[in-house]
Amino acid sequence: MIRHIVLWILVIGLVISFLPQSLEACPACKDLNEPIARGFNWSVLFMMSMPFTVFGIIGGSVFYLYRRTNRNLKT
Amino acid sequence: MMAQTEFEMTDNRPLSNAKLAVLILLGSETMLFSGLIGAFLVFRMGNVTWPPLSHADIELPRIVTGFNTLLLIISGYTIFRALRSIQLDRVKLCQNLLILTGTLGLAFLIIQGSEWVQLIGKGLTLQSGVYGAIFYVLIGCHAIHVLGAVIWLAIVIGMAFSGRFSSDSHIGVETCTIYWIYVVALWPILYFLVYFA
Repeated sequence: MIRHIVLWILVIGLVISFLPQSLEACPACKDLNEPIARGFNWSVLFMMSMPFTVFGIIGGSVFYLYRRTNRNLKT
Repeated sequence: MMAQTEFEMTDNRPLSNAKLAVLILLGSETMLFSGLIGAFLVFRMGNVTWPPLSHADIELPRIVTGFNTLLLIISGYTIFRALRSIQLDRVKLCQNLLILTGTLGLAFLIIQGSEWVQLIGKGLTLQSGVYGAIFYVLIGCHAIHVLGAVIWLAIVIGMAFSGRFSSDSHIGVETCTIYWIYVVALWPILYFLVYFA
């Protein structure tokens, strides 16, 4: 079952990587090279990265503290 | 096997509830500031000239704010030393360092307030355009957080003087330190972004 899921993810990933296309998702922009379009682009990329950063740091801290406490309890 | 006492169980816990709550609070604060920085990026990159031509004559006080940044960074160090000193049971030193931290935080707010008065006098207001709006919202939001941190610190100082903290029990100092250092670490990012971008 897991092998099938991994295989499908790989196949879909390969198909997507061979078909790169820019999508114009900014309804207020005339073309993608406009300053406002670049602003929106960078802003969206920045904000998209933040949940991963926040959960990564909090999750990483909790994981590290649990590991450290367990190590201290064993010694 | 001997059952663990409640204290021992608490002592062995890797992360206290209070610290976890502060971490979650900081996570939500990060999302708030991300949204504001995202809005700043749209305005900044959407304008070919920055400040916009309507505010071309207004120059932000970079040097004074740089000095203010230094004050805030020093306050981050002093509160860190306060935490270390209470961990070593040096209560008096901890009290003094907490007061010094609070004074530096207040100085930061007073200097920033005086800068704002000058900028409003020059015509940069919240309603004067996107430049003023994003400046006051972004910097003001941080200033409110510094004010909140100063109030929190004042409560912690009161608790420190009433003998509530020791090397075994100092979660109040610890959580306040985490929040304060977050507010301090956030400021240089905002400073370089808003004053130099």
